[in-house]
Amino acid sequence: MTIQIERLTKIYNPDTDFPITAVGDVTVEIGQGEFVAVMGPSGSGKTTLLNMLGGIDRPTSGRVLIDGEDITALEDKELIGFRRDNIGFIFQDFSLLPVLTAKENVEFVMQLQGRSQRECEARAMELLTEVGLGDRADNVPGKLSGGQQQRVAVARALAPKPRFVLADEPTANLDAATTRGLLDIMQRLNEKEGTTFIFSTHDPRVIGRARRVIVFEDGKITEDRVQGEDRTE
Amino acid sequence: MIVTLAWRNVWRNKLRSSIMVAAMVFGLLGVVLMVGFIQAMTESMIENAIKYQTAHFQVHNPDFLINEELAAWLPGADDMANRLREMEGVGGVAVRQVIDGMVSSAASNRGVRINGVDMAEEVKVTDVAQSIIEGEPLPEEGRNPVMVSKRSGEKLNLRIGSKVVLTFSDVNGEVSGAAFRVSGFFDTPSSGFDEANVFVRRSDLVKYTGLEEAHEVVIRFTDGENLEQHRPTVEGIVGDVGGERGKVRDWGEVQPLLAAMMGSLDISNMITIVIFVLAMGFGIVNVMLMSVFERTREFGVLISVGMTGKKVLGLIVLESLMLGGVGGLLGLVVGMILITITGKLGMPIGAVAEGMGFYGVDTVLYPRVPISTYLIMMAMILLTSLLASLYPARQILKKRPSEALAEKH
Repeated sequence: MTIQIERLTKIYNPDTDFPITAVGDVTVEIGQGEFVAVMGPSGSGKTTLLNMLGGIDRPTSGRVLIDGEDITALEDKELIGFRRDNIGFIFQDFSLLPVLTAKENVEFVMQLQGRSQRECEARAMELLTEVGLGDRADNVPGKLSGGQQQRVAVARALAPKPRFVLADEPTANLDAATTRGLLDIMQRLNEKEGTTFIFSTHDPRVIGRARRVIVFEDGKITEDRVQGEDRTE
Repeated sequence: MIVTLAWRNVWRNKLRSSIMVAAMVFGLLGVVLMVGFIQAMTESMIENAIKYQTAHFQVHNPDFLINEELAAWLPGADDMANRLREMEGVGGVAVRQVIDGMVSSAASNRGVRINGVDMAEEVKVTDVAQSIIEGEPLPEEGRNPVMVSKRSGEKLNLRIGSKVVLTFSDVNGEVSGAAFRVSGFFDTPSSGFDEANVFVRRSDLVKYTGLEEAHEVVIRFTDGENLEQHRPTVEGIVGDVGGERGKVRDWGEVQPLLAAMMGSLDISNMITIVIFVLAMGFGIVNVMLMSVFERTREFGVLISVGMTGKKVLGLIVLESLMLGGVGGLLGLVVGMILITITGKLGMPIGAVAEGMGFYGVDTVLYPRVPISTYLIMMAMILLTSLLASLYPARQILKKRPSEALAEKH
């Protein structure tokens, strides 16, 4: 699986006197199984980039090709289906459904794919066990700690067997120990399931664990390096 | 899972949903009681009018309907009555001579309608004789008995055996009259009817008016349902005997105001229900708007992970239907229980009874709401709940996922 971002630009309020360029003419390629950190200060455009990459926002210009398929050209309805089957999302605030248990949260996205209840249950339990929450499967998010909730979110993101996972500042609300544990899990799943992970962050603990770091400033890539190897544009 | 999710979402804010459900329960309780009360009141008026005044059908000379004068008698009234008594389903047929006149006592006088009746037949047609509260109905023996109402008796200062003078026109147009003695006081639910009528033996009235004939034939069937199917037979007999000079009218034509009330009952009930359901609909819109807007980000997440617009719409509609459904069902069940209890025990209308009595309303009402009304109400509540969810759903679905995700809540 290859993600090709070609001259991607996002301008807010383009027809006003004060257009804001959140992402400007970005071109980058991410390959299968990569563990990529997009780092940069707040307001640098990381989230906007991830949103366009995940098909939840439309670029002003440019394209995002997933294995050659231009997702920016897809209709809204097609895009929803594409997201459901190909992309896993992890949000900064966990964003679990508070009325569903951990297991139901993980099952829910698979049910949207139309999988059988038995299959959903089996995979949900497999993933929850994988993230160390097999014994908390029947707890609602309110009964789980922040770190546990984010682990459920990781399980939910991986449940539909996506081609890549987008995580928007996944450790921003977690303490050091929890962050370390979560990164261990994400890294292990990245290696085990071969799923590409792309996360935005300005957390040095996360950056230190990424194999590739894309530095983003003022909507542009200022540095793209594999840890230990410099690929500055 | 969407059904589970919707149900749990409804009870996510238990206080808010409970307040909405409670408002619906109390509102519906009021509406159901009001509908039941109006239904009972109208039915009581109609039932009493049929029971004490009109019976099911009446036959008159058409001229009598224009001007109720002595000369407008009904040809062949007694033959007609005999033929009608042979009809299947007929409970009784009475022949009356009716004349407007004056009743005077030593204390006062008042204008009344004097009904000359044969008591043996009259009791099969109306329940006036059964409403005697003092004395007895018109006896077959004895000189000139008269039945007056309790109210008239009080106003004329009468007791059982008191003498009153009835004055009226005779067949020659001359003033005629005679002294009558009070045999009994009747008291029907309609004070208007009571004050306007006295009853004497038809044979006595014939004696003083000089008119052998009668003015009206009154028919009561054993079963008041499906009266229309008896009508052709009644009209056939009346036509055979009286020719063109016999006009058949059912109770609704005799008392058009009551018939109009009965006819508009469904409409007035519907207006009451629609007003409530609309008010409830705005309540649900309000609750759904709050509930949906405070979850904007959550809907953004759902759409991001692949929930289609249709499913999001379905979720919001389902939540609204569940909220409305629970409130509606509870309200209607509680209302139904209350209507069943008051319908069995009766609901005294207290001080209002005095005023309502003029229209023939009983002092105790037995509220009743047809099952069809409950079903219509439930259907309207569900439809309104569905409509109430569309605006909040549209507001959410208008947003791009990234906009929804950018919301704080």
